[in-house]
Amino acid sequence: MRDRLRVFGFLGVPTGILAAFFLAPMVVMLVIALHYGVLSGESGWTLTNFSNVLSDPLYRDVALTTFQIATLAMLIQLAIAIPLAYVLAYKAGKFELGLLLFLVLADELNPMVRIYAWRMLLGREGIINSALMEIGLIDAPIDALLFSKFAVIVVLSTSYLTYTVIPIYAAMKAIDRNIFEAARDLGSGWFTTSRRILLPLIAPGIFVALLLVYIPLFTDFASPALVGGTEGYMLGNVVNDLVLESGDLNAGAAMSMLMLGASALFAIVAYRLTKIKQLES
Amino acid sequence: MRRAAPGAASAVLVVVVLVILFGPVLMLALFSFNDSSIISLPWEGFTTHWYEDAWNNEQARDAIANSLVVASFVTAISIVLGTAAAWGLTRLRFFGRGAIAGLHGSVLVVPWLIIGVAGLIFFSEFSVSLSLRTVALMHLVVTFPLVVAIVSAGLVRFQRSLEEAAIDLGASQLQMLRYVVLPQIAPSLAAAGIFAFAWSFNNFEISFFTGGFDQTFPVWVFSILRQSENLPLVNAASTVIAVAQIAAVFGAWQLIKMLSRKRGDGKDELTDLVTGTVR
Repeated sequence: MRDRLRVFGFLGVPTGILAAFFLAPMVVMLVIALHYGVLSGESGWTLTNFSNVLSDPLYRDVALTTFQIATLAMLIQLAIAIPLAYVLAYKAGKFELGLLLFLVLADELNPMVRIYAWRMLLGREGIINSALMEIGLIDAPIDALLFSKFAVIVVLSTSYLTYTVIPIYAAMKAIDRNIFEAARDLGSGWFTTSRRILLPLIAPGIFVALLLVYIPLFTDFASPALVGGTEGYMLGNVVNDLVLESGDLNAGAAMSMLMLGASALFAIVAYRLTKIKQLES
Repeated sequence: MRRAAPGAASAVLVVVVLVILFGPVLMLALFSFNDSSIISLPWEGFTTHWYEDAWNNEQARDAIANSLVVASFVTAISIVLGTAAAWGLTRLRFFGRGAIAGLHGSVLVVPWLIIGVAGLIFFSEFSVSLSLRTVALMHLVVTFPLVVAIVSAGLVRFQRSLEEAAIDLGASQLQMLRYVVLPQIAPSLAAAGIFAFAWSFNNFEISFFTGGFDQTFPVWVFSILRQSENLPLVNAASTVIAVAQIAAVFGAWQLIKMLSRKRGDGKDELTDLVTGTVR
């Protein structure tokens, strides 16, 4: 009895807050997604919001664009993060802590400030274009720098780098380094060592990075809204436009639920893979 | 030569990453001092009047003040709720512990866009008008589970036998918490504090959807950039914010270093703190 009271004392309020303002809003959103909108003139339960959202060819194109942008940004980040984590964990020596601090700092800087900074650099009359024209490398500004898929990928790739590096770095720190020496003594070159030893051991870290970064990449809407133009229009912008521009809460709720479902599915798969990999090693 | 090559490659990689991460923000700060209303080259001369403009801009001041108030409130409550929950989840055994831990963890992987939209729909269904209060409430929902994750990692790391020893030697529960547990988790608490503040202060999506007419700093920047071209005034305000954030992170880092050293731990403890949470 005393134990139960103690559990309630420590966890009652936190759990209550999550139930009331995290779970309940999700349930309400699901209910709204399953009801006719006020404007449709009908009432009651329905699946039309979901079928409308799913069958609209425009949304299918946007989903494809979103997939392209998010996946490319993720791959670019992994391509930077894996070697960077390696340098941090094994090569940096006395610089290790300082570099970690910079990574944390990069994450703490306001994302809106960062997006704005890129927009300033990439714009038609922006710093890169004006600098290139000053030194005479180009005669007319390069338009494709801003309001393009390219711009969104650049901004997104730099926005979540901290969360890509740190889990991989953590996985590397946990490796017993004798294993590399053993591999070398047994005659394996760096490529074989990387592929057969390092990669399997850091796989859990990579899955955690995917969990932390790939999902937010899919739902980002500030970056595409400010640097994407029409070419870089993503699913997050669809949700924003449905909810705030056209005021169709029901369709916006349906779209959000679909994105939530996809995120949950992805999270569960990534989590399982992490656990399986951790058990293997 | 073969030995020098990897070192050089590492250095190049690190420099490139630092330039990509911080170069744009440095440029932004630099151009907040450029005496031209168009942000591009050539350089037109040094001025501080964009800072005066930013200071005299009521919207900018309100937005920054709003963000500070919300983030302070959210940080304080998050630390209390998060530490209590972390203690409950790591030190007590009870039926349903896994489910409750899962609930706290799942908040961290649901995208903020969806939490923001759900919050907007939820509040409008129950006719709650949107304001800084609803923003703060929803920030709290996503922020205290982060504190739970960071503090839990700290609590799991240190040995429970120390707590038992303290009790065996006649310490009361409170004395044990004060003299054994608190010093052990102090670095985690400091880290949790700085992260919680940043999560709330930097949050855009949730503030955007649940704030109504009340703007936080990120929402203000967003709305200006949606309406107009780049403005040097925004550079000035952003530079001030960036400098404050850098100072806060360095300060917290020094504090954490000091707290860790007090416990006789070195560098490994600090890297553990950064990596422990993601495991």
